Amino acid sequence: MKVALLELRRRPWRFAPAVIALVLLTVLLLILGGLLDGLYSGFTGALRAQPGELLAYAADARLSVLRSRIDAATAAEVERAPGVAQVGVLGTALLGATVPGQVTEASVALFGYQLAPHGVPAPPSQAGKVYADTSLKAHGVKEGQTLLLGPKRYPVSVVGWVSGTNFLLQGGLWGNVDTWREVLASARPDLMLAAGTYQVLTVSTAAGADPARVAAAIDVATGGTTYTVTRSFAVDALPGIKQQRSTFNAIIDMTFVVAALVVALFFVLLILERTGMYAVFKAIGASSGQLVSQVVLQAIVIAALSFVLGAMLALAVGAVIPPEVPLELTVGRAIEVALGLIVMATLGSGLSLRRVVRIDPATAIS
Amino acid sequence: MLLASREIRRAPVRFGLLAGAIGLLMFLVFFQQTLLSSLLNSFTGALQHQTGTVLVYSFEARQNLEASVLSPDIVAKVAAVPGVDEAGPLGEATLTFLANGQQVDMAVIGAEPGRPGQPTKLISGRPAITPGEGVASSEAKGFAIGDTVTTSAGGSPVTIVGLTEQSQFNVQPTLFVTFGTYTTLRKAANPDATAVPPSAVAVIPSPGVGPQAVAASINAAVPGTAALARSDAVANAPGVSSTQGSFTIVLALAVVVVALVTGFFFLILTIQKTPSLTLLRAVGAPAGYLVRGLIQQVVLVLGVALLVAVGLVLAATAAVNAGLPLTVEPRALVTSTMVIVGLSLLGVAFSVWRVLRIEPIRAVSRAGLGGIE
Repeated sequence: MKVALLELRRRPWRFAPAVIALVLLTVLLLILGGLLDGLYSGFTGALRAQPGELLAYAADARLSVLRSRIDAATAAEVERAPGVAQVGVLGTALLGATVPGQVTEASVALFGYQLAPHGVPAPPSQAGKVYADTSLKAHGVKEGQTLLLGPKRYPVSVVGWVSGTNFLLQGGLWGNVDTWREVLASARPDLMLAAGTYQVLTVSTAAGADPARVAAAIDVATGGTTYTVTRSFAVDALPGIKQQRSTFNAIIDMTFVVAALVVALFFVLLILERTGMYAVFKAIGASSGQLVSQVVLQAIVIAALSFVLGAMLALAVGAVIPPEVPLELTVGRAIEVALGLIVMATLGSGLSLRRVVRIDPATAIS
Repeated sequence: MLLASREIRRAPVRFGLLAGAIGLLMFLVFFQQTLLSSLLNSFTGALQHQTGTVLVYSFEARQNLEASVLSPDIVAKVAAVPGVDEAGPLGEATLTFLANGQQVDMAVIGAEPGRPGQPTKLISGRPAITPGEGVASSEAKGFAIGDTVTTSAGGSPVTIVGLTEQSQFNVQPTLFVTFGTYTTLRKAANPDATAVPPSAVAVIPSPGVGPQAVAASINAAVPGTAALARSDAVANAPGVSSTQGSFTIVLALAVVVVALVTGFFFLILTIQKTPSLTLLRAVGAPAGYLVRGLIQQVVLVLGVALLVAVGLVLAATAAVNAGLPLTVEPRALVTSTMVIVGLSLLGVAFSVWRVLRIEPIRAVSRAGLGGIE
């Protein structure tokens, strides 16, 4: 063990190629993971923050919030369904917002709500007042400002901040249902809904009730005009979410395999160069196991060092990346990358096992 | 040269495995490239393959057709701009249809008959001319000329009178209809809608006037609009640049890995063969001869890998159901191959340097040969 660490200290440049490759791979893994987390949060935040365990959509909307329409009579049927404790209405509109003093407009998702989502205060009592998602600060939005929404420039003033409430990568704005309806009438007459009609219902179940059974009961109670699903199901049904996650995870997995490959190739090369030295070690009594442990230890140290350097570089990249790129660097993701890198480095270096075992101690004196 | 090819013949498993591994990595590059171009085509094919060479959005839509809403009087204002030959309203919305008893989401694009916005990639049938007619993208499996579809909300049926190719929008089946039919479908889907304004204006410039120039004139003359040449509208459509950016990172990584694997493999081989190469140098083989042999081996391995990769990508595009039509683009394949070969040769540069550094004298100074190191 001591020899392995001594070699790392005395001849650090020998390990530079592997460290450089692993640092770059760490940056790639952290950025890819950060993008995946940022995209997921930016796409789904508003739905994940909903207070109810269930969301009820119009059956023919195919779980699209924007296309769903639920009228007052249906909402009343949902309220009466067995196992339902509380029902709140929800509506959204995707718009461009003119921000005072800014040249480019901000893309926003204006929500009208009754039941406060997690982390969002109760709806403002006045129309035209909204809470803004903190992500909009990057677009120059400030508390107290008046934003102008849509082509008809409907004014809304920002009265406070909320976080993690974006929807389809558009900054969340949260106002009362009157604000939402007035904005729809002004900006999207084609999406306007009649009084009492909303897009989606957020449903809280009674204590002890099984959400899946309550969802089925709601759809029966409404005669099949609704399609009620759990919040997590609704989140996964957003367009592209599943595909996005599987594509990014496949790329991340591939990058881990590449890391193992790089470590494996590097140590094969190193062992080839050190065959004579290992033969001497074996000749003076070192076992193959001890030598392999040295190789694995060096790989783990290299992986850990590369992770630290890579994480610092990723943080620097994250600091200069434009605010519209949904990058979210989290501690959880960093731990996952660090562990993954160490495991893959161990596996990669372990591939040298055969070469180390095959070294003949007699080579030391031939 | 003889030596290099003979070595490959004598160690077919070693070189075969390397060629196979590189072939798989090259396949990964080619397949992702195919996926990227097909995906982009499915995102914006309907915009790319319609007759309007300039598209005018509402300014606040941030170049997103789905978010764009224009006042109907904007069409006339755009038509009056110098350099505009023809202008017509264009509507776009995603609606749920009932087709063969199943609900399916389709992007509906409405344009006035004979005006800009008509699909250009008609493969059978004819364009939609009268109300209640539609042209479906052929990728929407299950649709044939003569079929009728209705929105799940009810309303008048639409009869398919033509089929297009490469004309999807937002990776969805697409239905091209007249603007009147579009309005009817939107109202059927949402009877509460107080109006169905156009999403954009499609423009054909006057002869001799370029799309960029007309777009600039419209932007200057009609406030509240954002006019773009068709190619810019396609490049700036939501999702296009982020998809392209993500894939570029992955493709770049894969290409670097190919170069790295090739470089490492030949470096290991060179180090293993150093005593033999030293002996060859000692008996008179020039360094250039050994380097040429090394390069020949690299090129042969890459050649076999390329064959493996092309075979796999052709088989995969035929067999894989990615949910969108996959088409191999030969030009992109050639470009990638050139980049991979170039970078792989760069990757073996260190091996070449090791070969050039071999001192023939070391052949007789090795302790095993009775020399003194």
